[in-house]
Amino acid sequence: MAKEMIAMLLAGGQGSRLYALTEKLAKPAVPFGGKYRIIDFPLSNCVNSGIDTVGILTQYQPLVLNEYIGNGQPWDLDRLYGGVHVLPPYQKASGSDWYKGTANAIYQNLSFIERYDPEYVIILSGDQICKQDYSDFLRFHKEKDAEFSVAVMEVPWEEAPRFGLMVADENDRITEFQEKPKNPKSNLASMGIYIFNWDILKKYLEEDEADPNSENDFGNNIIPNLLRDNRKMYAYHFSGYWKDVGTISSLWEANMEVLDPEHSGINLFDEDWKIYSRKSALTGHKVSAGAIVENSMVTDGCSIKGTVKHSILFEGVKVEQGAIIEDAVIMGNSVVKRGAVVKHCIVAENVTIGENAVVGEMPTGDENNVATIGAGITIGDNAKVGPKAMVNKNVEGGEEQW
Amino acid sequence: MVNSNTSALGIIFPNSYDMLIPELVNVRLMASIPFASRYRLIDFILSSMTHSDIGNVSIMVNNNYHSLMDHLGSGREWDLVRKNGGLHIFPPFAEKASKQYTGRVDALAGILDFIRDQKEKYVVLTDTNVAINFDFKAMIQAHIESGADVTIAYNEQEIPKGFMKSGPKDKCLYYTLDIEDGRINKIYLNSKEAGVKNLSMNLYVVERELLINLIEAAAIQGHVYFERDVLMPILNKMNIRGYKYDGYIARITDMKSYFDENMKLLDDYNLEALFSRAPIYTKLHGGDPTRYLEDAKVSEVMAADGCVIEGNVENSILFRGVKIAKGATVKNCILMQGTVVEPGAEIEYLVTDKNVTVSAGKAMKGTDSFPVYIGKFQTV
Repeated sequence: MAKEMIAMLLAGGQGSRLYALTEKLAKPAVPFGGKYRIIDFPLSNCVNSGIDTVGILTQYQPLVLNEYIGNGQPWDLDRLYGGVHVLPPYQKASGSDWYKGTANAIYQNLSFIERYDPEYVIILSGDQICKQDYSDFLRFHKEKDAEFSVAVMEVPWEEAPRFGLMVADENDRITEFQEKPKNPKSNLASMGIYIFNWDILKKYLEEDEADPNSENDFGNNIIPNLLRDNRKMYAYHFSGYWKDVGTISSLWEANMEVLDPEHSGINLFDEDWKIYSRKSALTGHKVSAGAIVENSMVTDGCSIKGTVKHSILFEGVKVEQGAIIEDAVIMGNSVVKRGAVVKHCIVAENVTIGENAVVGEMPTGDENNVATIGAGITIGDNAKVGPKAMVNKNVEGGEEQW
Repeated sequence: MVNSNTSALGIIFPNSYDMLIPELVNVRLMASIPFASRYRLIDFILSSMTHSDIGNVSIMVNNNYHSLMDHLGSGREWDLVRKNGGLHIFPPFAEKASKQYTGRVDALAGILDFIRDQKEKYVVLTDTNVAINFDFKAMIQAHIESGADVTIAYNEQEIPKGFMKSGPKDKCLYYTLDIEDGRINKIYLNSKEAGVKNLSMNLYVVERELLINLIEAAAIQGHVYFERDVLMPILNKMNIRGYKYDGYIARITDMKSYFDENMKLLDDYNLEALFSRAPIYTKLHGGDPTRYLEDAKVSEVMAADGCVIEGNVENSILFRGVKIAKGATVKNCILMQGTVVEPGAEIEYLVTDKNVTVSAGKAMKGTDSFPVYIGKFQTV
């Protein structure tokens, strides 16, 4: 039985700009918003949009991601036919190769798609925070009788040169594609989410593979080729919340926006569009006498004895007496000891911040630095970590790192 | 594992002592009473079994069991979805011989064919009115080493008031044990004696073959209660031994103990004692983290996910999705899932069942010795 549409989720990116956070972790597995990982968003979108077959293309540091996805049960993607499948590069009779680019990753898994014989394939990116109804996107694609559609966001004109831009006519038909142009003709930025008719996708991937000069990339190769052949290409306007969390500051910012759903547009508390995640079995969190918790999100297993303001604590975080946390993202099972001051920063999982240590500081002026501490790091007692620091080695007691 | 000489199957009686806490079991049974902000009582026994490699668990539901079925689902959260064994729920009339039961004997008699078909050497029988993080493996090992025919777990404590004040009409049976060198000489039924006793936890280890023989014989004579009708008469003939449990135990015997046992977990020492040995699993919900807003003032609170807190909360246990509005004050309360406390409301010593709303500006107070219970979907 054929599926109408299946999803291919690109999750192989290294996320090198997240550096300390992605040293041992694929970017889609980076924790987000108190009890999620980035990949929960596209996966939940799929399920909420009625897509029950998802191939996840992994390559870089896949162990955590693999375990996290497991059989797909938290997303209701443990299915008899379809469901979620993790697709690493594999050896074939003709040889084996790493995924050379986004298009090549899909190309190497054409036989996966063939098993479901879909009419449409949606290509998703595993490094965006976005709540999007893909079924509405598909409705658009069908209405336009398109062969290829791309989801686009209107961005401010002054920021347009940072994006891949789609130039479209009044019927949303794409006439030109500009990759990070100096003189943008459009402010419709590609979100890197595409719907292809399956036959078109296959044809162009095979053609692309045969071209030795291709970078095997959707943006640089496939889309220009489709344009060259005058294919029916349309731009689907999306106006909801969308954030590429490719940098430390954008990741920090997106987390902070979760704290203010009334204004930021990212509402994780939406009963009609739930974001699912794999959960723990820790007890409810505990706020002790003398603690202050304001404008924050706290989840299971946390124990708060100090002060937490405008911050997100992931599961099992311990905040001891006298510790102060402000504008911070503290990931799972990290401990902030007595008197430590942790501000305007991202602290990864299983970090220990020693007594009276100082991590980050509130920005002054226009600077918007976010100190970052990698997973498993220990910051010694009385140590100091500056606001621009990216810490991926232990900082001894009393030492400073800037 | 199934054929190993130490493997056991679990049989759970989820309705035991329902009569002691009529408010809470009005819409459920003992096993599915919400406890400690995100659990239900059966989670403790089930998780303990999982951690003790008991992967074949039968639940003898008797009545009012919809909430439990909903909670358990396929048993996945406790790792009880198995090819061999796994979770079995036996409602009344599950088999030709089974009906609504009165005691363990007629319950087990109804599923004897099933018990005969199993491969495990031992059987663990237990109620669900206690929250414990229990090592069944150690108990089975002790049972084997002592050469006992039946081993009964007990703890040393005074007889709970909830037991003492139950009348004959309640048909609440509890047992205290007279033990010498580990061997039980005497089992007292519904003793009213003061002081610390060896109080049975109604948690038994027995060889499967022996259990079948005992139940067959008792059923023929029309017997009902395992302790009174089966064990008490054979104390002299067989080696019935006690297994002392020293760990943390929260025993629910009335509304007051329900309140107190929840509140005790606000003390980190108790929380640690109950939860640190091995994780307690529960049904997982897709809830978001709990949000604390600008004016939240919180002290000594245990809360599950999905709460939104803008008001004052002190010394309380909040279950999933509780909302406490601005200017509301909550003290010494247990608020179950979906409770909403509207702006300016003041409540103290309240136990609210699921989806209770306390209207804006209303005040309601119970006392330490008599917490007030508000039923499911009520509006105060």
